[in-house]
Amino acid sequence: MSVLKIKDVSKIFPNGNVRAVDSFSLEVADGELVCLLGPSGSGKSTLLRMVGGFERPTSGEMTIDGEDITHVPPEKRPTGMVFQSHALWTHMNVFKNLAFGLKLRKVAPDEIKRRVEAVLDLVGLAGYGTRHVAQLSGGQQQRVALARSLVLEPKILLLDEPFASLDQHLRERLREEVRDIQQRLKITTLFVTHGQDEALSMADRIVVMRDGKTEQIDRPDVVYREPQTPFVAGFIGTMNLIEGNVANGIFSKAGYSTPLPVSDGPAILAVRPEALDLAVASEGSQGKVHRVTDYGTHGLVDLELNDATRVKAMVSHPDLFRAGQGVTLAPRAIAAYRDGVVIHRA
Amino acid sequence: MTAIDAGQPVLAAPERRRPIGLLLVAVPVLLVIWLIIWPIISAVIQTVWVKTPEGGNSFSVETYRFFFSDGYSLSNLSITLWTTGVCAILLLVVCLPIALYLRFSDSKVAAYVQGLAIFPMFVPSIILSFAFIRVLGPNGTVDLVFNAVGLPKIRSPYLTPWGPVIGLVWDNIPLTVLILLSGLGNVSNQAIEAARDVGAGKLALLWHIILPRISNSVLVAISFAVLGIFSAFTLPYVLGPAAPEMMGPFMQRTFRELFEPQTAITQAVITFGFCIVFGLFYVRSVARNQAP
Ligand SMILES: Nc1ncnc2c1ncn2[C@@H]1O[C@H](COP(=O)(O)OP(=O)(O)OP(=O)(O)O)[C@@H](O)[C@H]1O
Ligand SMILES: [Mg+2]
Repeated sequence: MSVLKIKDVSKIFPNGNVRAVDSFSLEVADGELVCLLGPSGSGKSTLLRMVGGFERPTSGEMTIDGEDITHVPPEKRPTGMVFQSHALWTHMNVFKNLAFGLKLRKVAPDEIKRRVEAVLDLVGLAGYGTRHVAQLSGGQQQRVALARSLVLEPKILLLDEPFASLDQHLRERLREEVRDIQQRLKITTLFVTHGQDEALSMADRIVVMRDGKTEQIDRPDVVYREPQTPFVAGFIGTMNLIEGNVANGIFSKAGYSTPLPVSDGPAILAVRPEALDLAVASEGSQGKVHRVTDYGTHGLVDLELNDATRVKAMVSHPDLFRAGQGVTLAPRAIAAYRDGVVIHRA
Repeated sequence: MTAIDAGQPVLAAPERRRPIGLLLVAVPVLLVIWLIIWPIISAVIQTVWVKTPEGGNSFSVETYRFFFSDGYSLSNLSITLWTTGVCAILLLVVCLPIALYLRFSDSKVAAYVQGLAIFPMFVPSIILSFAFIRVLGPNGTVDLVFNAVGLPKIRSPYLTPWGPVIGLVWDNIPLTVLILLSGLGNVSNQAIEAARDVGAGKLALLWHIILPRISNSVLVAISFAVLGIFSAFTLPYVLGPAAPEMMGPFMQRTFRELFEPQTAITQAVITFGFCIVFGLFYVRSVARNQAP
């Protein structure tokens, strides 16, 4: 039963005067897993570290279950943090790594033993207690790090790119495991990643961050289907963003045009490759095939509009297309942006 | 035929290189034997293979029996051990906080502190001694300042056992800080933050996370300091009391002023023995710490 509220939090690093986090607000519901997603340097780690108590906010406040934690030091916060790597204590074995926090809380030895074993079992490392951490694989080490936080039953679990140093295969497996554990324990979680796959597959809600500010907060499918800004549209999944002009309800760009019922002026047209149909056209073509890539299950056609603007389209029969061919474009779903906000969706 | 010819040089190469390798190793080994091992052995022999009144030579531990039954020699040995021990403790007490500060502070002051801590390394002992006398000696700066503000005279540590202690600690701060600092470099920020995250306060952090990780560096730093201090000469000679005196000045005086080379060599062998014990202790602890 834990709710995290972040209200108008900013962080300015004095050296270099970087505004790493800028008036950020977020409410994480009880048992919810929220992903902070954004490019490198967008302030995700800084925000997470402020929640964990490792950085002091320049302004704003944070509460957990209504209790102000803004100025509480990390050792007194009900948060548990899993770091990217190198955070296990290499002079202790697995059991001692997990037991350390409990010992500091003066938990009785047999209770410590019971809880450590239960959590090791939970992360799939039953019987690994006496192992030295240096004798564990990267994936096992991150599981120990997770277990070390979980054993203290924190109100809020914080994870900062915990799988970044692992290979793709392991990352996908651990992702599922962490999601399972999180749902089983119903623990309120804030998860930092710059991998959109990770965010889309794990999160209840995604916060897309850019330059320390929120671009969009929504469920993964909404973020994917209805990006609110061109930045989100370009950042999540693959998106064709075509900058052009609207006149009399017609969007046009270098020989390509399509109806767009918005007022006259510049606009960015957004089309997902999977929502763009192509047809080979001998005359009246709007673009030219540049390259065709066959992925077996589907194909990807790179094409160029008349002014060399690149556009991608997903096709089910790549063998129908050949480099140099003229094609016409027929988008099935579009969105349009002006001044950084969405102005039309169809 | 060609195959065999082509193969021969490849096979022969290590054979030909081996003598060169041995030669390269032999030079330092011979130097160590000639300059270090042999003098040690010869010194030990000189102290136990003594001239008899009849003009011959015989085995005798008389010089050692004398050293260990002579009150003055023993008090010199114990003042040396005392000085070494006190210096080792003070060095840790002084240098560990400095090193911790340098490792974990990101303020600009840290750079100046580091400069200050390393500075004594570039000051020769003899200059250090005179600086000490001018500041802490009779009618030194401290005396003058105390006098000026109407405070009573302090008892100067100059020419007391505390004189060498202060000088030797000051002299050994740079190396100790540097070694501790390199040890602290191996403690990752994330390991520290993780410990704070599970609830470790400053003291628990130091005791359970930082110290175990730098125990080797502490051992190395203390061993270096102890070995240097135990046989130190200049600082105890200039700053210490006339009696009892540390082993360094004691040996020198026995040799130069009392013209008793045999006794001086015995003192040297005993000093060396203590250093060897420290060295062995150090090697054993490091080896044990390295086995996980
Ligand atoms: N200790 C610091 N001092 C000064 N600037 C910092 C500090 N830590 C972070 N920054 C700056 O704050 C901004 C946000 O950094 P942050 O680490 O939060 O980004 P991030 O989103 O986690 O990026 P990444 O995906 O690369 O981890 C960056 O411009 C960074 O340079
Ligand atoms: Mg980061």
